[in-house]
Amino acid sequence: MHALRAPGVRVVANPESIDGAVWHDAGPGREEFEPLVLRFARDEVFAIGATGVEIDDADAIVVAEVGYVALMFPADEFVDFVVPHIEWPAPRSRPAFAQGSIAGVPAKVYLDVTGAATVLVQGVYLDELIDRLPMPQ
Amino acid sequence: MTERLLPGGQPEAGRIVVDGRPVSFAAGDSIAVAIVRAGESPAGGGTLCLTGDCGNCLVQVDGVAYVRSCQQRAYPGISVTRHPREGLPVLPHISGPDLTLSPFGPGIEVLRAEVDVAVIGGGATGREAAATAEGEGKRVLVLDAEGGDEVVGIYPGPMVIVRTPTLMLHVFPHEIVVATGAAEIHPAVPGNGLDGILTARAAQRLHAAGIELGAAVAVGTPPEGVPCIPVAGRLVRVEGDERGRVRAVVTADDWIEAETTTPCDTLIVGLGFAPRDVLVRMAGEVPLSVVGPAADAAMPLPPAPTDPTAVVCTCNGTTVADLETAWERGFQELELLKRSSLACLGTCQGGACLPQVRAWIAARTGHVPAPFTARPASRQLTLAEAGADVTVDAFRRTPLHDEHLALGGRLDRFGGWWRPWHYGDPIAEYWAVREGVSLGDVSTLGKLVVSGPDVVEFLERLYPCRVADILPGRSRYALLLNERGHIMDDGMILREAKNLFALTFTSGGAANAEMWIRDWIDQWGLNVHVLDRTMSLAAINVTGPLGAELLTRAGLAERPAFLGHTHADVAGVPCHVMRLSFTGEASWELHHPVDRSVELWRALMSLGADLGIRPHGLKALFGLRLEKGHVIVGMDTELDTTPRRARMAWAVRMDKPTFIGKAALARTAKQPDHRRLHGFTMDGQAPVEGSPIMVDGDIVGHVTGSWTSPVLGKAVMLGWLKRLPYPETVTIEGREAIVSPTPFYDPEGERARA
Repeated sequence: MHALRAPGVRVVANPESIDGAVWHDAGPGREEFEPLVLRFARDEVFAIGATGVEIDDADAIVVAEVGYVALMFPADEFVDFVVPHIEWPAPRSRPAFAQGSIAGVPAKVYLDVTGAATVLVQGVYLDELIDRLPMPQ
Repeated sequence: MTERLLPGGQPEAGRIVVDGRPVSFAAGDSIAVAIVRAGESPAGGGTLCLTGDCGNCLVQVDGVAYVRSCQQRAYPGISVTRHPREGLPVLPHISGPDLTLSPFGPGIEVLRAEVDVAVIGGGATGREAAATAEGEGKRVLVLDAEGGDEVVGIYPGPMVIVRTPTLMLHVFPHEIVVATGAAEIHPAVPGNGLDGILTARAAQRLHAAGIELGAAVAVGTPPEGVPCIPVAGRLVRVEGDERGRVRAVVTADDWIEAETTTPCDTLIVGLGFAPRDVLVRMAGEVPLSVVGPAADAAMPLPPAPTDPTAVVCTCNGTTVADLETAWERGFQELELLKRSSLACLGTCQGGACLPQVRAWIAARTGHVPAPFTARPASRQLTLAEAGADVTVDAFRRTPLHDEHLALGGRLDRFGGWWRPWHYGDPIAEYWAVREGVSLGDVSTLGKLVVSGPDVVEFLERLYPCRVADILPGRSRYALLLNERGHIMDDGMILREAKNLFALTFTSGGAANAEMWIRDWIDQWGLNVHVLDRTMSLAAINVTGPLGAELLTRAGLAERPAFLGHTHADVAGVPCHVMRLSFTGEASWELHHPVDRSVELWRALMSLGADLGIRPHGLKALFGLRLEKGHVIVGMDTELDTTPRRARMAWAVRMDKPTFIGKAALARTAKQPDHRRLHGFTMDGQAPVEGSPIMVDGDIVGHVTGSWTSPVLGKAVMLGWLKRLPYPETVTIEGREAIVSPTPFYDPEGERARA
């Protein structure tokens, strides 16, 4: 497992406008990077790695989000160290996105097609979560 | 397929230790059967059912009390202590620094299982239900108490909590089938606490185990295959010998009004059945299906117990006379009767006595009462089992957590966060605010952004103050009221643009406020966007008369006026700068991205070094605010505190068309209400917060906040007075205190606006 900040763009807007949003990444001259777009709610989305967005909602709230930290787990480590601390049924399909508490800490989980997991947690909870997961140091 | 999560198999014959003596058991024996095989009683008397339905075979196993010995297999080496015949078992001494830990080892493991169908009950109907579900290709888990899987609770979700001999199971089924069968009726007659009384099933089990029952007689339906003499008539009482063992049974023929006494060694009672439906009654709204006898609500009740000396609830010793006493006192309903008499509230949760109590009520009223709602846990648990996998609240750490520690901060949990209480010298921190410059970590404040075409309409309905006239770049203090006009929270409304606002809330109330706001947006169907930035934005409060100089050095030459706000770089960090004051001195809250917080903090500390800058913690902050008479919601307020009671009616505009709580405030304004939050001063040291406030020897309120004010040279307090007439002086901790107007410090607010 390794942890790193997950900056991106967070948007709250009309659901239809979020559906049609166009995300900007790091831009020309940088390494090509596709933002990972996670739909937190019908009207809320977080695009990790995005630097901007075009969205058709004049009242949309668009902010640069730096509060989240991503914990990256290979599939086997996720099963061994995280799943035992998830009280809700894990999604079976891949890729999948789920939200709930892990060991009592609010978190979000993105599972890619290989089963590798990105656990997204607010940085203010990071130490608490790591304390609660018996992971190899 | 049917899953079996626990290892099966039975131990061969061996020996267990019962009350310090070795007792042999045969393969397959439960602890109860092993004790009976040794010629003794598991718990010193009472009807044995051997099906886990009563509390008549409770023992301690390896120090764990309240174990139903009929439900636990005998294994070599376990140590059993029978519960005393009278009184409670002596629980093991718990020692060590952490009382939440099991004294018997590490925490209990939890195994979670998600299945299609959970079948509770491993009898014939349970096996049939499992086979049917398997035939449909479903994953089935059978939970059988006889096999060691005791279901102790069903919760919404649904979630089924199961106690096993080795771990706790948390099962998440898509369907629940309850096939728990029926329990046998226990006799409620004098002498039912004697040793040697068996239900028909218990007799069959002991007979099948090769245990001799001696001269056995059966009342009611005799058990098949068990040698016994059937005795006709109604069971009247059981007579015993000096050892507490059954000696004879007395029955009656009501036609000829004659009693017959039949000597015996063992009494077998076949008095009928009652649905074993405690889990069904516990499930409430959780959808489940009930099959077999557990679903048979039409099973006849036993005859109502009549002898006043007869024990109905053997767990709690409730007699028929006790039921009558409670009834005469007016507790004439099942739920009330059980609470007042303690019947059905013992170890077995009415498993044995509920039919008797219902029959007793039916005989009184002519109506059979419905069984009461059952509550988890249906079986006894250790604290370690109940707390297995339970997590304590997660407390957040601000981005400056390590900075506080490096500065000697003493951190404590407050409002859902780890916060610095002080940095070793709260009085020096206080003076830094009053006379110099200080930093406070206010990252914990709730921070929402709201926008949308209906946002002004929404905020006008939400808050009791005016919102529409707040200009962009300006802010206003606001209370948050509920429908009853009670103060829920408070904070600031900051207008950024025509349809864009930032809102702040207290640290502890932010989450609740967000839910409140989202609920009302949905309720009113308004087009408003909400984004919670509480954990994305940090905030540093720069406060003190030298704060302006510090900010100038940090590049903020153009600062907003009091209650103004702007976006600007401070020490190179983009900030939302808010000109407020909670300390009573000129203050600027710098809200900024969490990843720049340490950078900003260190820059400000460095730039202010020659100004004597130092951080302040909550202890100094609470004193500073108290000198200003600023109310902290949740500390000074109570659940039903209105603006009038808090003397904050100035924050409410009753001339607004509507806002949450307005109707209640208008109604209660016409009613007498003596409760008021007042200021107090006294000489000497401040009394303890929470101290009673006395007038003429009567308690008329209590202190909500107290502080020995360095600048004022006396103690200042906020506290409640709840009785008229309001006195000029009161007594607190035996000393005279003066009822005083607030603010105690800088009443004109000149320093805050400076």
